[in-house]
Amino acid sequence: MIYIIDHKDSFTHNVVHQFSLFDKVECDNYNELKKNKLEKASVIIFSPGPGNPKNYPLTSKIYKKFKGKKKIIGICLGFQQILFCEGAKIVEQKKIYHGFQSNIQVINNKSLFKKGKKFKVGRYHSLKLKEPFKIKDFEITMRCLESKVAMTFENNKDKIYGFQFHPESFLTINGNLLIKKILSA
Amino acid sequence: MNKQNQLADLDHSGEPYIIYKSKEGFDLYTNFSKKIILNNKNVQSFLSKKYNTKSKNTDLFIGFLGYELLNNLIKIKIPKQKNINFPKGIFYKPEKIIKLNNKFKYQKKYNYKKSNFKININKNSYAKIFTSFKKRIKLGETYQIKICTKYKTKSKINPLDFFWRLSKTNLAPEAFMIKDKNFSIISCSPENLITKKGSLITTKPIAGTVKKIRNMNKMNALNYFRKNLKETKEHNMIVDMERNDLSRICKVGSVKLSKTKVIEEYKDLFHYVSLIKGKLKKSIKNIDIIKAMMPGGSVIGCPKINTLKLLNNQEKENRNIYTGSFGYIKFNGDMRFNIIIRSILNFKNISEISVASGVVVDSNAKHEFSENYIKAKALIDLFK
Repeated sequence: MIYIIDHKDSFTHNVVHQFSLFDKVECDNYNELKKNKLEKASVIIFSPGPGNPKNYPLTSKIYKKFKGKKKIIGICLGFQQILFCEGAKIVEQKKIYHGFQSNIQVINNKSLFKKGKKFKVGRYHSLKLKEPFKIKDFEITMRCLESKVAMTFENNKDKIYGFQFHPESFLTINGNLLIKKILSA
Repeated sequence: MNKQNQLADLDHSGEPYIIYKSKEGFDLYTNFSKKIILNNKNVQSFLSKKYNTKSKNTDLFIGFLGYELLNNLIKIKIPKQKNINFPKGIFYKPEKIIKLNNKFKYQKKYNYKKSNFKININKNSYAKIFTSFKKRIKLGETYQIKICTKYKTKSKINPLDFFWRLSKTNLAPEAFMIKDKNFSIISCSPENLITKKGSLITTKPIAGTVKKIRNMNKMNALNYFRKNLKETKEHNMIVDMERNDLSRICKVGSVKLSKTKVIEEYKDLFHYVSLIKGKLKKSIKNIDIIKAMMPGGSVIGCPKINTLKLLNNQEKENRNIYTGSFGYIKFNGDMRFNIIIRSILNFKNISEISVASGVVVDSNAKHEFSENYIKAKALIDLFK
């Protein structure tokens, strides 16, 4: 079962539908989580959402508790939330991407995806990862071709993955394939 | 007796009635046997009530859900605001429906005095609100938010005359009017929020407005939107948000875009429109649909919950009907609801028109302020 933690976003149910193509999905608001579902889940997903990772201490607690024990995937805010928990800084960016379709590319040979492969993806983020960034076992694996902003990270040792873009958006081409690969990793 | 006379006589009699745009023309609903005034206590039970599924065409409730009621339904409280104590929602049970064609005639029988509208937020205050919302966008607290302005004037109008003139120049697919004893509403809403037939549901969000200038046709308008990155991004966001709201209540894999970014033409403007459909899950009731879809996202901003909170904390005056929904619920469960925009509320001899336009990261206060005026213009012109 996949447990999606909703940060009260208006895109979370697109995420629910996308992951439901692969497994049973449960979804609750981050402040109304069920302990038994958390224990039962094989994958925990941190949804997109408004604001900054520091506004969601409950989600950070869950990350720290289940890191290394279950597969964890973060989308947009969820991506930032995981990196924030690992000590990274999340900062405002000059150019803001809301409803934007960007070309991104795999830039790292430690990725599950082939280095050099390009994707068209939908973005909705005000904030970004501050770089340089160095955390053990975490690799930035895709970047925006234009702005070079980090778009995915992978930690294949602990099975932790993050998307700064929205794989569930109608602006993302082949989003289901991206999810399938991460889920079967 | 012919239908035109029936309408004129009905109007003259002072009996309440409703007109709603249909595919072929208009439907006139009257002979109301019930009138239900909604509040926070009775709305849940009204929307969850089950009826015998008979086949009479009058087996339906028609009316509106106001903005505040829709907020309360999804557990969002509105802070204390200036309030004219207009009902939060009203539904009527008609016993008679008459079909009218698009060109129903109406003879103006009275002299109308010209009135001047006052706006509740001037350019400077608008710019201030705009700047503060832009900060919220930079912080990621909202991705798009709509600032609402209200135009008001003292006036006593003949609603049928107004609606007739409005429909002549501005035949909108979700137009309606309500004439009751102590209020009236006239609307040329172009936006359908919910069409539910059996287990199929569609929504048709509008995001993007351009003023019609000389020689501009649909093709030029489409090119304008395609080249305009700001309008495109705003529209994309609404499409993903409406997909989300449908996904709350629809079967996995059934939510699809059936029209993506097409143009609709109106008297003074062009709209950028998409159509999204889905198949409802078996367990879903009408109240679940209303809570998932309302208030309609395209007139609020995104993400809905946090953006509603930001809006409500900023707005000093109750929105009343504006960005609520008008439509009907049939006894067999089918529904049709619009988003109440481009409308005039007449209550206690005051007419009010509300409009809103969006703040996204690259919008500009002056442009949005005048976009609000473009939207209100077709309605304000009726008072000349």
